[in-house]
Amino acid sequence: MDNHMFAATELNQKNQRTEKLVRLLFILMAGLLILPVLIILFTLVYKGSSILSIDFLFTNPTNGMTEGGIFPALLGTIWLVVVALIVSVPLGIAAAIYLSEYAPDNWGTRLINLAIINLAGVPSIVHALFGLGAFVVFFNFGTSILAASLTLAIMTLPVVIVATRESLQAVPHAFREACWNMGATRWQTIRRVVLPNAVSGILTGVILEVSRSAGETAPIMFTGAVFFSPFLPQGVMDQTMAMSLHLFVVSTQVPNVPENLPYGVALVLIGMVLIMNSISIAFRMHLRGKKKW
Amino acid sequence: MNARFITAALLTTGITLAALNAEARTLIQNKGSDTLVNVAQAWAEKYRDINPEVAVAVSGGGSGTGIAAMINGTVDIANSSRKMKKRELEQARKRGRNPVEHVVGYDALAVYLHPNNPVKSLTIAQIADIYGRKGKVKKWTDLGIEVPGCKGQKIILVSRQNNSGTYAYFKKAVLGKRGKYRMGTLDMHGSKDVVELVEKTPCAIGYSGLAYATDHVKLACVSKTAGAACVIPSVAAASDGSYPIARPLYMYTNGEPKGEIKGYMDWIYSEQGQCIIVEKGYAPIREVRCK
Repeated sequence: MDNHMFAATELNQKNQRTEKLVRLLFILMAGLLILPVLIILFTLVYKGSSILSIDFLFTNPTNGMTEGGIFPALLGTIWLVVVALIVSVPLGIAAAIYLSEYAPDNWGTRLINLAIINLAGVPSIVHALFGLGAFVVFFNFGTSILAASLTLAIMTLPVVIVATRESLQAVPHAFREACWNMGATRWQTIRRVVLPNAVSGILTGVILEVSRSAGETAPIMFTGAVFFSPFLPQGVMDQTMAMSLHLFVVSTQVPNVPENLPYGVALVLIGMVLIMNSISIAFRMHLRGKKKW
Repeated sequence: MNARFITAALLTTGITLAALNAEARTLIQNKGSDTLVNVAQAWAEKYRDINPEVAVAVSGGGSGTGIAAMINGTVDIANSSRKMKKRELEQARKRGRNPVEHVVGYDALAVYLHPNNPVKSLTIAQIADIYGRKGKVKKWTDLGIEVPGCKGQKIILVSRQNNSGTYAYFKKAVLGKRGKYRMGTLDMHGSKDVVELVEKTPCAIGYSGLAYATDHVKLACVSKTAGAACVIPSVAAASDGSYPIARPLYMYTNGEPKGEIKGYMDWIYSEQGQCIIVEKGYAPIREVRCK
């Protein structure tokens, strides 16, 4: 800058000023994103933390659901999410492996990709009605954890497929070529080289699915979740209470609920999801640390 | 190896869940009316102490939902705040089911007003004038009163969504069988929402179960005809029939109740069961002495 030949002209200065302004604007916009999250968390903690206790987590609701805990709902949500995972994770990963590693680029593959994108765009209430028609009525599972979890699994399948496919494609192609040149088959390459290198991305997909299924209300309210059940679910054919529906119920359907109860339920729900997300982030960082590329 | 770890983790969680609290029990499915859902929940909760071997799972969704489930055979007891229609009974019989009606209590629909509202009593005809499509009362001033804090004095009509039993009953009881609601009502999706909205809105009028009354809202005293004395909605006035907007609440079973379902229904009719319905703000089917 000392050299007067390169001293800023008026135009340069103007451009620099604009640059600064634009930069500031974008930082501000990005910063705004944090705001809603902070406000939500703060409100929930402020209004709901007073009810939290070990008893709240591990006892049944009492006195018309205005007192007591949320154990049946908490356990119900775990049931729903676990069963949904058992169905959608193998299915989603298998589909993603095919799409990323085997599928030729033809109209059939494009059709499958289009279907996945569309499946991801279907509103959850439509999934709910599909689940009601398909699993509850047609397959005759009745309103049960099985029907609700299958509905959740179908709804979250695109999340798993897309995350897995992307993480598989992020593995450099040279890795595969090196492997093939050693005489390995396609499956050996996938099994020994591609998958181990893609685990962190796949895990992200799984965790995203967990967060989404734990929070969804519409797909489970027709297919397996109940307003109230005094007993804990014991199998996939049982109905169950669930956190998200319980939150809806205590905040809109039950009179005389103490104010901190719905906030407490929301806090636990969000806490579950945040803890899951943090574990996955920590695990990913651990795996990425081991990566050599 | 990581895939194996994840599968193992999932399986372990599944097995742990299955092992948790394995008690023998019979499951009774109970579904329907949102008006009854809180009572049904309280019954189910209390019955656990009476008979730990019976689990009653309660769902809401509205009377129509419960009746449809009874027709489809997916519930043991359907809750309804209206009688089953002839057509519905025929449908059920066609599918080999025989819905039997049980009156388990009475519901009084209160007309809710903002506490600022000076109206004390309303006749059924006046309420019909306010809510009906052909009614003439659109402003509070049309009733000869002025509501402080209500801009323009235009009445805000709070109603329910059209598959609610409360919606249907209020229409029948106030507007008559062929009556229609005025256009532009605010249709709320829960009994509690109606009261909450009226609490906050000086211009509003709403109807909802007496059970949902709070200290922050006013209940209109309702008279059947212009000359008659008005009756303040209460549990006593509902069960003795003096309050004009009260209705029976039904539970339907498939055939005469037997076994565990009979045990449950009998308990609902007992003093303890009926006291729970009183506690929830509804009227019992007979005089009961509760603590």
